[in-house]
Amino acid sequence: MRSRFWYLVAGVVVAAVAVGFFVTRFLNPTPEQMTATSTSATIQGRPVVDFTLTTVGVIGSGPHPAWVSYLPTTYLKVPTGAVVHITIDQQDSPSGLRNPYFSLVRGTVNNEMTVNGKVVQAIDPTTPAHTFTVPDLGVSVPLEGVSGSVTQNVVEFSFVVPDQSGLFRWQCFVPCGAGTLYGNGGPMQTLGYMAGELQVG
Amino acid sequence: MRNRATATRVVLIVWLVVAVVGDVALAFGPIPPGQASDLASSESLVILLLAEIAWPVFSGVLAALFFTLVINRMAPPTAEVSADALRGNTRVQTIWIATTLVIVLSLAVYGTVALAIDQPGAGISTTSASLPAPASQDQPLEVQVIAQQWWFTYRYPTYGGIETAQLVLPVNQKIQFHITSLDVIHAFWFFALGVKADAVPLNDNVVTATPTEIGTYRVQCSELCGLWHGNMADNTAMVVSTSDFAAWIQQQTALDGPIMKYLPPYSHTYTGTNLPQPGVYAP
Repeated sequence: MRSRFWYLVAGVVVAAVAVGFFVTRFLNPTPEQMTATSTSATIQGRPVVDFTLTTVGVIGSGPHPAWVSYLPTTYLKVPTGAVVHITIDQQDSPSGLRNPYFSLVRGTVNNEMTVNGKVVQAIDPTTPAHTFTVPDLGVSVPLEGVSGSVTQNVVEFSFVVPDQSGLFRWQCFVPCGAGTLYGNGGPMQTLGYMAGELQVG
Repeated sequence: MRNRATATRVVLIVWLVVAVVGDVALAFGPIPPGQASDLASSESLVILLLAEIAWPVFSGVLAALFFTLVINRMAPPTAEVSADALRGNTRVQTIWIATTLVIVLSLAVYGTVALAIDQPGAGISTTSASLPAPASQDQPLEVQVIAQQWWFTYRYPTYGGIETAQLVLPVNQKIQFHITSLDVIHAFWFFALGVKADAVPLNDNVVTATPTEIGTYRVQCSELCGLWHGNMADNTAMVVSTSDFAAWIQQQTALDGPIMKYLPPYSHTYTGTNLPQPGVYAP
């Protein structure tokens, strides 16, 4: 009788640990995080770090191979107080913005970006394929879509992150989740595709 | 019997003291949402009134419960229990019902009058054109709140229709918020000003409030709206002096320079007809 009791206790404990492990993993996944590459450059005494990202219309692998996505990941890590220089190899076609306001470059150094080497402060709101937007840092950059013989647009910009540690969400503001409600479902609602986290510190 | 009468008096006195002390504390304590606008002050007054009435009732119910369970409890039956008829107390019942009736009806009348003549609250706009620039503090300044997954942006039609990602308001200026959405249903909640209204696509929800305290405040979405709903908030909404507001408008106008030719004409709602490329955003 006593051994049955302990079997029962052991069973409950094992089940609780399994459920707890599943819930913990579900609520707090530990995706691959990309750390910014350090450079020797500084701007106003702040270290400059680099990221290179790619946007594609079809990711081609994983659980949703047909989804649009940033690559290689949307989980980014940078040091506090750094100037983050990002290069985006934009390979997707334009969808257009729902709110034209997001075709304005904001929150970057000098409120500008370069597109294939050309300095730009805003683009036609019908042409973006995506945006790289960090709302809590006031950073938003439209990424012009490719068309015709052009297969990529190289977009570069820099912004300063806070001196304190923090976790900031970032997302695309082009409703590019084709086939979903208002275009804002699927990859727009899933971390790792058109939404991500910027870990500062 | 004499002990029970004494205990009853003690319970009544304790209840009276608790009720009075509680009401006094409420009168001097902070009542949400505060005094940062006329609308917030009005809401605080209503909440204070309800709390002042509810506290004596609540503490009275607790006192009655204590009296019934502890003091007025029958001794355990020593003989066979009979099914005696319940004993009523007409005087207690009359006082209880009459008091409840007076409180409920008074609050109903107060609430109805407040709704009718106090603040306009949230409602669907009947206007279709933007207002002219405010000539005085009585003339409301129109500010449009545009919700989208997952950020609020703001348009100022009296200043060329500029759009910003930060909400800045002049103090002591009546503000007419026009709240709409570009995708799903959101809700705009400016707690300190007492403003909370749904942001619904193709609808123009109007709330009027006059901010009265300079400061930095939080705005947030209060309608579950998707992945980043919990992050659809910021702590940078500001109420500033008139001169600071003018300077900020000037700065934002300059920042918006490159985008102004692309922004759609100001409208109380936005559809495919007044966005640059109809149909691209609603597959």
